[in-house]
Amino acid sequence: MNKLWIETANLCRHYKRGTSTVKAVDGVDLQIYQSEYLAIVGSSGSGKSTILNMLAGLDTPSDGTVHVDGTNLFKMSRKEIASYRADKIGMVFQSFNLIPHHTALYNVEMALFFDDTPKDERIAKATAMLESLGLGERLDHKPSDLSGGEQQRVAVARALVKNPTVLFADEPTGNLDQENTNQIAKLLKDLNKKGITIVIVTHDLPFAKENADRIIRMDYGKIVEVIKNGGSNGSA
Amino acid sequence: MDLRDMLHISIGNLWRMKLRTFLTASGVVIAIAAFVAMLSFGAGMQENVAEQFNKLGLFNTMIVYEKRTESDNERRHRNQDDEENIEEDSTSVNDSLVVVDMIIKPLDNEALKLLSKIRGVSLAYPFESFAISVTIDDSTYETDAQALPLDAYKTKLYSELSYGEHLKSDSSKEILLTDQFIKDFNIEFPDSLIGRQLIISAKASSVDSGLYAIVKSDSFNIIDKVKELKFDSLLNKDYVSTVLKTEANDAIGRFVDGYMNRNEIVSDTLIIVGILDNGTGRRTSSKQILIPMSIAEKFNSKGAGRGMMDMFSMVSGGQIDLFNQGSESKSFSKITLNIEQGFLHKNIADSVKALGYRPFSYAQEFEEIQQIFLYFDMGLGLIGLIALITASLGIVNTMVMSIIERKREIGILKSLGADETYIKFLFLTESGMIGTIGASAGIVFGWLISRLGSFIVRSFMEKEGVDAIELFTMPIWLVLTAFAIGLTVALAAGYFPASKAAKVDPVEALRSD
Repeated sequence: MNKLWIETANLCRHYKRGTSTVKAVDGVDLQIYQSEYLAIVGSSGSGKSTILNMLAGLDTPSDGTVHVDGTNLFKMSRKEIASYRADKIGMVFQSFNLIPHHTALYNVEMALFFDDTPKDERIAKATAMLESLGLGERLDHKPSDLSGGEQQRVAVARALVKNPTVLFADEPTGNLDQENTNQIAKLLKDLNKKGITIVIVTHDLPFAKENADRIIRMDYGKIVEVIKNGGSNGSA
Repeated sequence: MDLRDMLHISIGNLWRMKLRTFLTASGVVIAIAAFVAMLSFGAGMQENVAEQFNKLGLFNTMIVYEKRTESDNERRHRNQDDEENIEEDSTSVNDSLVVVDMIIKPLDNEALKLLSKIRGVSLAYPFESFAISVTIDDSTYETDAQALPLDAYKTKLYSELSYGEHLKSDSSKEILLTDQFIKDFNIEFPDSLIGRQLIISAKASSVDSGLYAIVKSDSFNIIDKVKELKFDSLLNKDYVSTVLKTEANDAIGRFVDGYMNRNEIVSDTLIIVGILDNGTGRRTSSKQILIPMSIAEKFNSKGAGRGMMDMFSMVSGGQIDLFNQGSESKSFSKITLNIEQGFLHKNIADSVKALGYRPFSYAQEFEEIQQIFLYFDMGLGLIGLIALITASLGIVNTMVMSIIERKREIGILKSLGADETYIKFLFLTESGMIGTIGASAGIVFGWLISRLGSFIVRSFMEKEGVDAIELFTMPIWLVLTAFAIGLTVALAAGYFPASKAAKVDPVEALRSD
């Protein structure tokens, strides 16, 4: 068993909608181990993306804790949480979230803005990362000049260029065709083999089963099932 | 990421929105240009005044006047009246006419000696002038003459000559004309006057002639007066009083006639040695011709150019010696002090006051003028600032729009590790860039406006035959102030939107279109 890297306890995210309360995430206890490939699956509105945002420190829980490598994430200052995002994690989104007016190279380089990497080194690392993902010819292309698969690979390059410990991917193949989905799936699998922890949110159970070590199924903000790939099932 | 990266990103963002950036910066440009042009005018005016003061040596010149003070008797009398008024009735009105008795401490040769001994005074000279007729060839001009000691020509006030040279000594038979004289009398070739002779002359009035007229006049015969007396009424007090009043009035009338109508002419022939540049009237207090002290004393001793007011002044000051009207009894309307560099005018003014005279310092006057200029500049600056505040609203609008449009970008940056400080700094840099561009261009435009204004004013002045002066100036403090204000206002305008941007919820931002 690898080292426990992220642990949540009674994690809740409740929203006020008028007079009623929406329980997007409600009392989730979760452990993520180093180098694990974890998939969180569930239907729309099940709370899977909300969990991912809280694990990344983008969203703040209503209750409960998130410990990263033993440190309570939400006891950190906002600046420390920002540093955590800059140094420890990479994020990939369904809609790629590339800045449209910047080139592929600059979009990747931006990920290194916040860790004091000198400009020359930023460019070198970003170029090398894009080339490793087969985008060497697309460095100066803007997102609008790239296909969906290429855009997502730029997004992955941006997430990986800073050598994160964990890669959070929110529906990374949601906007891709089968061919590009396969490419991204393979890419993530390869990264995981290199030791990067991957937490992926998807509604595509077959994709999760094919790639993840462990699958967590959520419904109405709660974990309803934990599936260990190639092994036993268990309930939360 | 360093400042260079931040500037690069900001410039890129502003460049993408060229039109909006241009329009927003235009507001700042106009406001700063107005600010610079207006304050450039204020600074130009101030510099002109300072230059004139400096050119004329007024910063080291002090004028001393007689000080009129209330006599002790009068002060006692007034105090008594005040006390009585309080005792009688607080509402009563004292309608008696208070005749204020003034004593004048004369500005005479004794005063000149005392003033010249004040520490820091390098030169003290009196202002002596009188009406005079100047005859050159067949032309006669009525003007004013002024006498100055030779040392006074070394001061800035009287040192510049248009032609010729200065007087050689205080007793030379020489004369200096002034540019003002040349201009007033339309003399075409002033340089041709150098070396030529002229005659100065003045009517003389003396106390002698007045006294003489009391006892010897066509309208007065002592035998007739004796005959007119009613000897049997000489013991009548009223009769005696009436006769004395009538005779006293007649005697005063005859004295005045004799004083004013003596009609003796004093004259002298002098050689024109130079023409003083008094800048068409810029030299304060300089008369149209300048003569040596000895010539002035000669004219003065004979009562040249003296009027009734001079006589009354001398009598009331107790300076007149009926039997000896020599230079010892003479008083001056003012005395000019030349002050050495490094001495405080205030200390010298205090010494002058201690001697019982009233000082007037141009340097102290300049401080008051500067105060007025400060208010003037503040008024002009305020107008510019109002324009700048209006422009700042444009910056606020642009930045708020930018945040709305770039909300997703803010979310992406936050997901990559940007903290609130970074986001705030990014937007502040952009508003600062707008301020920098606007202020820089505004300074250039303001300078161009000031040049245009200067060209128009100078053309107008030259057309009117006035010495053209530079009314606009752009000192470095104005450039730096304008830039600092432009940048500060832009940063202040960008602060609220930048703070708003820093607080954008990244989850919501990443979901936005």
